[in-house]
Amino acid sequence: MRRAHVLIGVLGLVLSLLVPLVVRSDYTFQVLFRIFLFAALGLAWNLVGGYAGQLSLGHAAYFGAGAYGLALFSKAGMPAWPALLLAVLLAVLFAALIGGVSFRLRGPYFALATIAFAEVLRLMAKNLVGLTGGDVGVQVPALFTQAFNRSFYLASVVLAAVAFSITVWVSRSRFGYYLMAIREDEDTALSVGINAARCKLWALLISAALTALGGGLYGSLFLYIVPDQVVSITISNEIAIVAMLGGAGTLLGPLVGSVILETAAELFKNLFQEAHLLIYGVLLIVVVLFVPEGIVGTLTNRLRRRRAVVVPAVKAQAGSTASE
Amino acid sequence: MDTFFAALQAILNGLLTGALYALIGMGMALIFGVMRIVNFAHGAFLMLGMYATYLLFQGTGINPYFGFLATGIILFLFGYGVYWALLRPIRGESDFKQILLTLGLGLIFTDGIQLLFGADYHQINIPLLSTNLHWGAQISLNAPWLISFGIALVLGVALYFLVMHTKLGRAARAIAQNRYAAPLMGINIHRVQAVSFGIGVAAAGVAGGLLLPVFYLYPGVGDQFTLKSFVMVVLGGMGSIQGAAVAGLVLGVVESLTSLYWGNQWALAVDFVIFLLVLSLRPSGMFGSQRV
Repeated sequence: MRRAHVLIGVLGLVLSLLVPLVVRSDYTFQVLFRIFLFAALGLAWNLVGGYAGQLSLGHAAYFGAGAYGLALFSKAGMPAWPALLLAVLLAVLFAALIGGVSFRLRGPYFALATIAFAEVLRLMAKNLVGLTGGDVGVQVPALFTQAFNRSFYLASVVLAAVAFSITVWVSRSRFGYYLMAIREDEDTALSVGINAARCKLWALLISAALTALGGGLYGSLFLYIVPDQVVSITISNEIAIVAMLGGAGTLLGPLVGSVILETAAELFKNLFQEAHLLIYGVLLIVVVLFVPEGIVGTLTNRLRRRRAVVVPAVKAQAGSTASE
Repeated sequence: MDTFFAALQAILNGLLTGALYALIGMGMALIFGVMRIVNFAHGAFLMLGMYATYLLFQGTGINPYFGFLATGIILFLFGYGVYWALLRPIRGESDFKQILLTLGLGLIFTDGIQLLFGADYHQINIPLLSTNLHWGAQISLNAPWLISFGIALVLGVALYFLVMHTKLGRAARAIAQNRYAAPLMGINIHRVQAVSFGIGVAAAGVAGGLLLPVFYLYPGVGDQFTLKSFVMVVLGGMGSIQGAAVAGLVLGVVESLTSLYWGNQWALAVDFVIFLLVLSLRPSGMFGSQRV
């Protein structure tokens, strides 16, 4: 199974890197950029929301930290790439703070606390006009100057590949199994000596760093950002929905989820203009009621069940099922 | 002296707003605090209540201060239906699912309304709006807010009695205490939960109707109230309906004072900071007996 995943990953990466040989249109590059960007964000979210089972609905905090960090550090005179690095550090710092408070809470309170933190940051970005420019927005430096859209597309592919590799590593490592144990039953995990607080925090720090890179890329593509665009609840929701739709706690889930959600969103944008979030709502309800383990989670479960009928002794892969 | 009157005025205004918050928060306290249904669509239900009252006013000329009754009934039936159709199938499963389902529901309501009525801002015009009651030279209170304060107060007290002193309320609290023992005592779990959800949603809808004369109406108007109502429930203490009511008044006053001293744009941020402080320092809230 796992080897197949790695094979799919490598094959996907090679194919994605070859895309610029055929694609010429800027529009196609931008749509593909969104798909890979949100695949990467979904994979990052998946570490916390899927493997560790902590429903974060405030990832816009890290996304926004990436975008705003890049903009503000470079406004202060830094070159773009070092500014991006600092922005990632800023997001990790936020994650340490947010995780430190929120991880003491369980269930809906955790989700609510993450939303509250992200909202506080959004309001700060809106209201600290002297620092952030407020609702007027702020300029973001271009990370790439040549072959603009193609470069951003390739960067999003690389980011998704990095996030995918990290997820492959996590899903096979002791750390990953700790996370899954915490997801299945935190009290039991604690009782067998897993330092749940530290594991969850590490997962969040990695997740925040990747999310901030995504936010930086996104902001840099637009060259200009406002708070309601990059620190919004909509971004938090979109990241979570991508992972849930594909299958939280699965390797390929966020990739599949991003392809479906972003394609659907693109189609609905033309159909419904401003009301395109409708499709997010419909997808959420369909997933919860009919495919609670997400598309990939449900498919692998079905495959496994079928295989289990033929070969009853097939090794049970404990913990690799999707969340709850 | 002027600063004193400014503060007093802000506190009074805060109480007037706070009564409506209290109504919204009590609805959420019934749904989330007592029934443990995580309702991320609460603000969207409020928005639906506003639109229902608005359409009633535009279509038949019924004043919102009477129209809210019809809105309450519509929202109750709607909430009742939503419980049976969507929430019942996932009852007893993880909070995860309830959060995502109600989140999705909220998105559908908000964007569905936007699709139907557009994203434009609407406002109704009734003669009452410009009426102010003066109290001394310094203090003046806006009539629509005073009326909604009175209505919210009556409804809040009624809701409190419903939950604490009727058979339905007792059944709801029994389910909250032990969802396995309650049916053994002859309680029809799903009917009680559906009715409670309907009532909680109707409270939000009624508050929306009462807000209509003094607020701009647009599809996203309810968004801020979802989080605010969670803030009230946590601040008041889980499972405490009176706690949520007091928390609503507190929130109203805090926001009003924040607007006075720091500016309106920080009011919402202060709400969330209070929320995070309560969650991390005193998770049982002001009145709550249950731990978060």
